[in-house]
Amino acid sequence: MPAAIGQELVALLPRLRRFALVLCRSPSLADDLVQGACERALANADTWEPGTRFDAWVFRILRNHWIDQLRRSKAEGMTEDVTEQKQIIGDSGEGPVLSRLLLAEVQRAIDAMPQEQREVLVLVCVEELAYREAAEVLGVPIGTVMSRLARARKRLVEMTEAA
Amino acid sequence: MSQLHLSDEILMAFADGELDAPMAAAVEQAMLTDPTVTKRVADFLRSRSLTRSALLREEALEVPAELQAAVEARIKEYETREAGPGALETSKGASAAPARRWRLGGLALAAGLAALAVAGAGYLAGRQDTPPPAGGLMAQLESPSVRDALSRTPSGQEAEVAAGRVRIISTYRLADGSVCREFRLHSTLGTADALACRGAGWTVNFALASPGTDSGYQPSGATDLIDAHLQNLGAGEPLLDSAEVQALEGAPRPPASP
Repeated sequence: MPAAIGQELVALLPRLRRFALVLCRSPSLADDLVQGACERALANADTWEPGTRFDAWVFRILRNHWIDQLRRSKAEGMTEDVTEQKQIIGDSGEGPVLSRLLLAEVQRAIDAMPQEQREVLVLVCVEELAYREAAEVLGVPIGTVMSRLARARKRLVEMTEAA
Repeated sequence: MSQLHLSDEILMAFADGELDAPMAAAVEQAMLTDPTVTKRVADFLRSRSLTRSALLREEALEVPAELQAAVEARIKEYETREAGPGALETSKGASAAPARRWRLGGLALAAGLAALAVAGAGYLAGRQDTPPPAGGLMAQLESPSVRDALSRTPSGQEAEVAAGRVRIISTYRLADGSVCREFRLHSTLGTADALACRGAGWTVNFALASPGTDSGYQPSGATDLIDAHLQNLGAGEPLLDSAEVQALEGAPRPPASP
């Protein structure tokens, strides 16, 4: 009696894609990532324990799939380390920040963070996972989740305050 | 002044509603007496709502029709299989039917899988349009220094070995409990993607060679095959961080007899 996860998976697609976008910052990569993660989820449906959070389970699959891809692309000799990629925070050049520009600023600040900060930020602040749940998705201790999250959020505040 | 050391983590947990009642009460007390504490908590509330607004307003939530259709098609395939107990479907305990799970690059890969199943351990395939690589590369894959690297090197890192350079890609635990690692060897004889599993020692049970590092190497074919092979072996998700360390530290176990 394999768990029928199809409907839940479809319902989760928008959030999976958002998480994928935060991880890889490229729409086309994100779509591949979501598709690959769905395949893995379907193939491993029997390892999901009913009663636990389905979203967190698929987030973990998606993230592991991404890390796998990263390692492979490194092995293939790509020198650019996507996880370490730093984007230059452009000065918007618009003079004083209009409030509608603030969110774009936030988006840029998030894009410029290392992956370990971006992923925890989206899981807790957007997906509203508890620290413990995020720790399970990421496979790290809860203290690590908290320190990464606090660092990311302080940075966000500093960057947007300066504007 | 509060005597309590209120770290960023504590104030953030307070803002996120993750503190237990006594700690939360202590933070509230501190906020009454120390405006800087209040400011720090407010900043954490602000960063949360900023993040939320920035990411939620994105068009990210619009799933492209193609993606949606692709996933729905896969789901349908799975559900059809599960609904109809076809003649080919064996009992649940049996390992999954090969190739049914993965949309591989087409028939060529399916054929590759069939060859794999027949050849079993020690399969070393050359790319179709190149002569099979010398046995030397296969021997290098199982050399002592490569085995040593397999036992010590975390995924994502490289190690120098006698024959050249090894990059460990990922680590898996199979359904039978054994630990396998996907890796790539670059040597003077060429490049090989391989999967080694640990029994009494490391044994390469799948490898795909490409003749030279500078030839028209197409990595996706090799990794798709290894992916499919791993699925057939019942590998779950790759082990990360502490789970990987634990798996590598675990005593080598003899190959399980199913």
